[in-house]
Amino acid sequence: MTSLLEISRVSRDFGGVRALDDVSFSVAEGEMVGLIGPNGAGKTTLMNVICGLTRATEGAVVFAGSSLNNVRPNAINHLGIARTFQIPKPFVGMTVWENVLTASLFGGRRGRSADARRAAVERALEIVGLSPRARVAAESLNVAGRKRLELARALAMEPRLLLLDEVMAGLNLKEVEAVMGVVERVNGEGVTVLLIEHVMKAVMGLARRIVVLHHGQVLAEGTPEDVTRDPDVIAAYLGSGIAYEGQDAR
Amino acid sequence: MRRYAFWLWLLLAAGLLALAPLALNEYWMRVASSVLMWVAMAEALNIILGFAGYPAFGNGAFLGVGGYTVAVLMNHGVGFWPALAASVLVPGLIATAIGVPVLRLRGHYFAIATIGVNFALLSLIQNLGFTGGGSGLSVPLYPGSAEALSVMFFYLFAGLAVVSVVVTQLVRGSRLGYAIRAIQASEEAAAVMGINGTLYKVAAWVISAMLTGAAGGIYAYWNGYIEPVSMFDIVTSVKLFIMVLIGGAGTVVGPILGAVGIEVVSEYLWSTLGGLHLAVLGLIILLAGVFVPRGLLSLRFWRRRGRGRDGAPTNRTWGVDEGGGAS
Repeated sequence: MTSLLEISRVSRDFGGVRALDDVSFSVAEGEMVGLIGPNGAGKTTLMNVICGLTRATEGAVVFAGSSLNNVRPNAINHLGIARTFQIPKPFVGMTVWENVLTASLFGGRRGRSADARRAAVERALEIVGLSPRARVAAESLNVAGRKRLELARALAMEPRLLLLDEVMAGLNLKEVEAVMGVVERVNGEGVTVLLIEHVMKAVMGLARRIVVLHHGQVLAEGTPEDVTRDPDVIAAYLGSGIAYEGQDAR
Repeated sequence: MRRYAFWLWLLLAAGLLALAPLALNEYWMRVASSVLMWVAMAEALNIILGFAGYPAFGNGAFLGVGGYTVAVLMNHGVGFWPALAASVLVPGLIATAIGVPVLRLRGHYFAIATIGVNFALLSLIQNLGFTGGGSGLSVPLYPGSAEALSVMFFYLFAGLAVVSVVVTQLVRGSRLGYAIRAIQASEEAAAVMGINGTLYKVAAWVISAMLTGAAGGIYAYWNGYIEPVSMFDIVTSVKLFIMVLIGGAGTVVGPILGAVGIEVVSEYLWSTLGGLHLAVLGLIILLAGVFVPRGLLSLRFWRRRGRGRDGAPTNRTWGVDEGGGAS
């Protein structure tokens, strides 16, 4: 398998704080990789670097053979990268449908026909289960609904690479399972997924490869089983008990 | 039916405006002309402030630029119509040039930068020879009778106000409209969804500047004389802000209501209270800000039920957006 996303030796400083420190890993086409780590590990910073909202201080991100360094977020999106936000950012003042339509009309690879863009809206709403609520104002959705809207907007752009930033945080078990089903389905259709998640059960059940970040560095990388057995990882999570919970997932 | 409601109302308003000179006397023609000029400028500010969420606090500067464009060109023998066209283009060009750096700033910083632009342009006009400097510039007089003048300028301002409202309505439902509304909600989310923020923000500000410039162009010819301190008076911008916010930012009808309301009330107060009118007007604005913070259009009185086709909330046109969102 050729790698679709190549992160090589990426560092990012915020003033004196090194949020990312020499991070390297790659994601193959069609793969689903989980990115986990304690709070403040640098997961979201890494996602911001990939999608262009934050610039890497050092290192390079390469997507499908082209460097993303110094490329603006909107241009990165047009290469086929879509992301969701941990704290949902719905377009207030628009309906759910208009939110997804806006994403589909502007986002995604260039050259998609207008018909394809409209069809993608209906499909994305259907996949995440928001079709019945398409006409309500986006701000009237609850947390679970807003997370689904984030996902629907990303899917409507028909990305090659989907970056999911804690799409399941704050959801109840039933909702988590519904979103897991969606992510699995999308990945099954060939979309490469990089999944940041605090809900360990979800990551362990979905991703076949896990990257663990800690203090901005890659602490471990491997299958869910390998990672949860890694003494360094257990030490990093010690006290929280989360690492243990992951082992009996699915 | 609801889809055409805007255009039916517009047609009705245009018809009334067309007939107005038959019913109004000289004094009221002047008041109405001024009100329509404010409607055009408030709607223009609404495009950048209400839709894109960028507080262009110095938007009145484009009134000055438009006015001086007409005044300078007409003093050099250019006819009014070509000069008016230039008073649309020149502010548009200035907004393009300064928009790229200035629209990188957000919130208060952007507001302060636009005030800076206003004062920079004021000082430029005061110090350039061909603008007449600080003492102002006379504009060639309209050749017709006083009555013809009053009717012609009334129609010019009415036409501009209608154009402004139509442009706002079209922007709202356009690609540009969706882009700037997305930018207002979240600039980061808009960017990762492929929206070229700089392009659409500058486009919105250019449209705003062009409409405001046209108002200045007509005003210069109407007034016959302009001077820098009044054409670049920051109070113009403050007043526009109040009109947009009191009426309902981000709606098409709100700024019309705000402009007409503020102008008519202040005219009435001035004629009855004289020197005290500003104090009372200030009190009214204060009370409106406290009790109707989201604008007159958010009042239940205007509320319309139902939503339009394709999930587009038609009642948003009337300023109602359910739930506590920034609008």
